[in-house]
Amino acid sequence: MTAEQQLPVEPVGRVLILLDGSRLSLAALEAAADIAHARKAEVLGVFVEEVNLLRSAGYGFTREVGRNSGVARPMDLAAIEARMRSLAEQARRSLERAMAQRGLAQALTLCRGRVADEVLNLARPGDLLVLGRVGWSGSPGSRLGSTARVLVSQALGDVLLWADPPMRSRNRIVVLLNHDQGANHRAVRVGAELARRNRQPLTILVRTETGRDERIAEDLLAYMESEGITARVSFLPMASAGAVARVIREEGASQLVLSRQCSLFREQGADTLLIEMNLPVTVTP
Amino acid sequence: MAIPAALTEDQIYHRCPLDKLNFETTATLEELELPFGQERLLRAMEFGASMEANGFNLFVLGPSGAGKHELVRQFLDKHASGQPVPSDWCHVFNFQQSDKPNAIELPPGEGRMFKRDMSDLAAELKTAIPATFESEEYQARIQELQEEVTRRQQKGLFAIQEEANANNIAMITTPAGFTFAPMRNGEVIEPEEYKTFSDDEKALVEAKVEDLQKKLQQAIQQVPRLRKEVRERIHSLNEEMVQLTLGGPIGELREKWSHLPEVVAYLDAVREDVVEHAEAFQDSENGAPAGLLNRYRVNLLVDNSETQGAPVVYEDLPNHQHLTGQIEHRAHQGNLYTDFTLIRAGSLHRANGGFLILDARRILTQPMAWESLKRILFSNEIRIESLERLYGLATTVSQQPEPIPLKVKVVLVGDRTLYYLLAHYDPDFLDLFKVEADFEDDLDRDGESYQLYARMLATMAKSVKARPMDKPAVGRLIEHASRLAGDQKKLTAHDRVLKDLLSEANHWAARADSKHIGIGHIQQAIDEREFRASRIRERSLEQIYRGVVMIATDGEQAGQVNGLSVLQIGATRFGQPTRITATARPGKGQVVDIEREAKLGGPIHSKAVMILSRFLAGRYAPMGDLSLSASLAFEQSYGGVEGDSASVAETCVLLSAITGVPLKQSLAVTGSMNQHGEVQAVGGVNEKIEGFFNVCKKNGGVNGHGVLLPASNVEHLMLNEEVRTAVREGVFAIYPMTHIDQAIELMTGMAPGSPDDEGGYPEGSFNRRVADRLAEYAKVGQKKEDAQDNDSGGKNGDR
Repeated sequence: MTAEQQLPVEPVGRVLILLDGSRLSLAALEAAADIAHARKAEVLGVFVEEVNLLRSAGYGFTREVGRNSGVARPMDLAAIEARMRSLAEQARRSLERAMAQRGLAQALTLCRGRVADEVLNLARPGDLLVLGRVGWSGSPGSRLGSTARVLVSQALGDVLLWADPPMRSRNRIVVLLNHDQGANHRAVRVGAELARRNRQPLTILVRTETGRDERIAEDLLAYMESEGITARVSFLPMASAGAVARVIREEGASQLVLSRQCSLFREQGADTLLIEMNLPVTVTP
Repeated sequence: MAIPAALTEDQIYHRCPLDKLNFETTATLEELELPFGQERLLRAMEFGASMEANGFNLFVLGPSGAGKHELVRQFLDKHASGQPVPSDWCHVFNFQQSDKPNAIELPPGEGRMFKRDMSDLAAELKTAIPATFESEEYQARIQELQEEVTRRQQKGLFAIQEEANANNIAMITTPAGFTFAPMRNGEVIEPEEYKTFSDDEKALVEAKVEDLQKKLQQAIQQVPRLRKEVRERIHSLNEEMVQLTLGGPIGELREKWSHLPEVVAYLDAVREDVVEHAEAFQDSENGAPAGLLNRYRVNLLVDNSETQGAPVVYEDLPNHQHLTGQIEHRAHQGNLYTDFTLIRAGSLHRANGGFLILDARRILTQPMAWESLKRILFSNEIRIESLERLYGLATTVSQQPEPIPLKVKVVLVGDRTLYYLLAHYDPDFLDLFKVEADFEDDLDRDGESYQLYARMLATMAKSVKARPMDKPAVGRLIEHASRLAGDQKKLTAHDRVLKDLLSEANHWAARADSKHIGIGHIQQAIDEREFRASRIRERSLEQIYRGVVMIATDGEQAGQVNGLSVLQIGATRFGQPTRITATARPGKGQVVDIEREAKLGGPIHSKAVMILSRFLAGRYAPMGDLSLSASLAFEQSYGGVEGDSASVAETCVLLSAITGVPLKQSLAVTGSMNQHGEVQAVGGVNEKIEGFFNVCKKNGGVNGHGVLLPASNVEHLMLNEEVRTAVREGVFAIYPMTHIDQAIELMTGMAPGSPDDEGGYPEGSFNRRVADRLAEYAKVGQKKEDAQDNDSGGKNGDR
């Protein structure tokens, strides 16, 4: 197996950015714009009016309980709709501004329905989906929103869960792989792209039950060298999500890339890992 | 009364006996550590420097240029060297009141160590504490805490969500919060459809929704308390971590400084402060803020680590700030700011435990400096206050450092006038400067002193880096020292003049390529100095020679005499003769002092004229009226006249005017006289004699000229070589007189005559002529009065 054979080049897809007006979604918008600029990709903003929210506003007796104050205020359909329109407008302006700065084409799709469903409908396999780890709809203190959970597990293409980047001393791109995993190449390629774009070194962590496999390490390093990226490869035993998180933290990770095929997903450890790693994470199919 | 004999050469100059000097050159002489002849001063300084009680500070007074500063410095250096080295002092941050830095006293040399220790500690804090916060242990514990709060927070929400779900009610997030609505199969029921529900169902749903809302409200309102609790727990975790990190280094320091409770207390305060500000150390990128770490620095105000004995400090610019210290400011982005590290020590801090030497005149000319010094000496503590605060010009918040206890001996050095003015006008002065150390101007010249004075000169020569002097040179210098003192039995103690003379002699010796300073070089230095200062004297002589100023030095003349005066211009003095004239006619016992009438005479001169007028009356008209109207004037004198040294001359000229007996113009007279005609001493005799001598020399040569001076002035004579030669050759005579009659006889050549039992003078004597002439005046006066009386009586009769 050579690096060339293992890592075929895929066509450039769109960058879909999920906007809901929350702080993290605006930060994610900037990250998405940078990626699109680097990839020369088309940008599609998506703003979904949550149908359940609109319906609940139609009841005369429902109240909105403030997230921080706990104060209950009457809900009014017209007011909620106006608020959604205003958020959509804000999203549109932010999108326009971010893309105009980089000279990128953009479009904003407004739709009404369940957020995850609508996004899944819009996304194509080659697309990169960018969203904040949590939106305004995330419950307090949560590090992984419900929409993010659904999209990470169901999207056809790559998903970037944006979070505030960690402190500057952490400056490595970390790719987490499974030794026996067939879809490693996609994660490796995304990791290489991130490392190149951010001018950061790369660490590839390979989960294995059989110890260090020099052949794989050499292949990976050869590929990275050909890409002009400083990289190192480490092997780690099939430990729990918590242990993996610790290793990633020790590596000084600034961004994490992992494949959905990684055995952690099968072990239901992915949620734990994603919650523990408060940094931008790209999940590849 | 016999005419006094003219003085011999030995009487007008006291030679230095070279056999009293036991050396060939001053190179072999041992230096004098302390000057001789200043026992009074040295005892006063010894007492003042050793006296412990308050207020026994010293004032060293003496003329300027006497070498006071040097002597004081030399004495105190020696005195202080045997005394203990005082403490170091430093200012540290006050964690209770940040604008009042604390002062800590440390044994000498330990201040520097303490400063280094604290600087090392700060450096360690800078790295060790962020390292602690980055440690896995800390991160894990912080994460645990955060997860716990998230868990507790979410637990409540999940419970509500689950309860809602169980009741087919959806909990929906909104941009600002949450809401509840009835649902079916995970989707909110359309409101239109809901309307079709039965009233019971609706009531059930709405009641549940309300119940859930209340529960949610309660859950959310718990959040702040939860967060606060977490914050507190994080804070105590931080404290715990910092305590552990600090435990080692601070523990070591506490042990090291256990002998100083103040330092230990400070270290404890530092630990508490670091713990309190633990969060500020967490930024591993930029480190702890510099301002925070600065708080743990030590401002070493007084460092005595290299001081030997007690400090002796001389403050050459004794203004308020330099004395008491000051608080400096740093400009940062256009703003001025300060902290305890910018407190600067003053000379009082540095001299604390030792001696501070100040120039009295300088401190008095600096605004507030004198008042500040007194305040500090009274309070025995140094409190740093800025001048603008003292004047009330600034009200900005500044540092108010803890006052430092003061134990210092202040030595003020100044001239006598200042001392007496301060003693008179400043009520605090004598409370604070109780020890008066008075400098001797002149030293006794006796057999003992020659060798000591020679050693003093040798010491001076070394200090000005002059060549050694040979024995005759020292002898000449000793003679000149007597001349400077104006006394055959004294030697000047004036440091500056002697040193200058030595330097100049050294210069001439160098020009002559001589290894030693010889007598010729000393003489050359004296002559050159005199020549440089001689312009005005020469001009004055020229005026006399050319007849512009009229002075007769030959022949005889009635009503005219040569008086002698001294002019002082800058540092030079010279004498010159002045013509004094008198007129006399009958009148009512009045002697007019023209100088006084013209407001050119001073009070002492007026007093002298009154004395001579009473002398005349008492001597020549003891029983009757003195019918005399006389006048006295200093001719061609356009400046003021002061002093009584012309009173003998004035008496002679007045008597000459009365009798018409001429006076010898080849003689000049100086001397003061009392009411009994006794002659009293005057000043400046050397200059006066030399001045008249020069005039005579210029006016056709010295031959039979001379000067009359009070006999009590003879021991002040130290005349120059030229005059001495003329005296030796008998062409110039100096007569000592004790009584006015001696002057009369010398000036007129007539015997004055002594009164008989009835007060009458012998026939043909000078005094008889005076008495007769005054009697004639009285008769003339009486006739006039009678004529006037008759006139007025006749007129009265006519009436």
